[in-house]
Amino acid sequence: MTPGKPRSLSMPSYWFGDVTGGKCTPAGSHDPEYLSFRLDGIRTEMESFCPPAWEAARDSGFVSSRGEYIRVLREVCIYRAEKALALVAARPEQELIQMVHMRDQLDEVINLVTGRALEWHAARSPEFSRKFRALKGKRALEALVAGGSPRVRGIATGMMHLSEVKADLTREIEQMAGEVIPNCTGLVGGVVAARLLAAAGGLEALARLPAGTIQVLGARTALFAHIRSGSAPPKHGIIYQYRKVHGAKKGRRGKVSRTLAAKIALAARIDYFRGERDEEFLDTARAAVERAAGESGS
Amino acid sequence: MIWIDGVLVSRGEGGVYGERMMRGHRVWDPYRSKLAAYYYLGGEVSLESRMRVLYLGAAHGTTVSHVSDSTEVVYAVENAYAPMRDLLAVASRRKNIIPLFADAAQPSSYAPLVEEVDLLFQDVAHPDQASIALMNLPFLRRGGVALIVVKARSIDVTKKPADVVHEVSHKLAESGLYPRRVIWLEPYHRDHAILECPRD
Repeated sequence: MTPGKPRSLSMPSYWFGDVTGGKCTPAGSHDPEYLSFRLDGIRTEMESFCPPAWEAARDSGFVSSRGEYIRVLREVCIYRAEKALALVAARPEQELIQMVHMRDQLDEVINLVTGRALEWHAARSPEFSRKFRALKGKRALEALVAGGSPRVRGIATGMMHLSEVKADLTREIEQMAGEVIPNCTGLVGGVVAARLLAAAGGLEALARLPAGTIQVLGARTALFAHIRSGSAPPKHGIIYQYRKVHGAKKGRRGKVSRTLAAKIALAARIDYFRGERDEEFLDTARAAVERAAGESGS
Repeated sequence: MIWIDGVLVSRGEGGVYGERMMRGHRVWDPYRSKLAAYYYLGGEVSLESRMRVLYLGAAHGTTVSHVSDSTEVVYAVENAYAPMRDLLAVASRRKNIIPLFADAAQPSSYAPLVEEVDLLFQDVAHPDQASIALMNLPFLRRGGVALIVVKARSIDVTKKPADVVHEVSHKLAESGLYPRRVIWLEPYHRDHAILECPRD
């Protein structure tokens, strides 16, 4: 299906037809797909814009009543919105974002529940209380499964199962991130790259961010505290989780995260516009980050 | 506006977002909806059954659903993915909501669809809320009113809310849209105000 005829800029075009000299030439059909396609071809200049009047649609015979006008218009708009939503949903990074949110939430839940189960267990067996503080993660769960009351044991078993789910999910994230954002993943690993993607809201959004923003993504509280009360600005947000940043000497962390953010900004753009892993870029980028950390070279 | 024993309600099919019902009417909570808060605080621009409304920043469609109960048609603009999904679900049950998946800062993208309206309601989180209102002014008929929610914190967190509202008012007035009244939404919403701006 194609729209009836080409429209010039001087002729106001509305969703139901084109208006010239007070006369309206109606669109050829009520079909939402047809009308939506027709709308895609309409360019409106807001300076000279005059809103459509439904009476024009009626007088031209496009609709016979106000009720019909609203009904057909609503159908087109719902059609267009659903189509646009489907396009967003089809972006592969949307699932990756959900996956990394789920992974982080699982992490939180496991830690919370494990912590509570340890407290409960310690309340029942006081001799356990001194030892258990040192226990973390899987070790803690194993201790609970071995020595806890039946209820605590059941909870700990559930958490062990969730930990396995989390480990599997992490592997899947690494793999998917390697496909969807190969260069960001090459720089900071799949999970951190996916978190950056989630914080930005999508690949296009991440590719459009300046490096300075990427550097402090995920440090919103610190950033606003800085703006509001003049505390020290945050040096890093999510990228702190990358080992080269948190593993750097304290005095160099700011420098490392600044350099790394600059390279992630480039990597995101390569991922968005080219979508392929660029080994040469990754080599130079990694070398730059290492120089910043003072590990090698100059 | 419909009040039952001092509680704002609207007449329509319930169960949109878990709102309470009261004698067959939908309770419109001022803590959830800035427009409801505006009416609780004495806002005088009422919704009427013949009104056409352009609603910018429709979000999940909770307030939109109440507006649609009391007006002829609501053009609901929202540009974020997840809220738009919810808004579409609301629109599927209400025949007078026209959902527009678009950016309120790009009115040309929905201009061929939106007729002249009696009320422009704007609730967008954007650093330049005044500009967005002005860009959308061509949709508002002369004699109509724009209700503009100023989210002081989304404009500039470093400034005092009152100063932010003053700046927005000033910018609107410079372009001929004079706020005749400012209603702060305390205690329902912190650091939010609604500007009532009639179009001459």
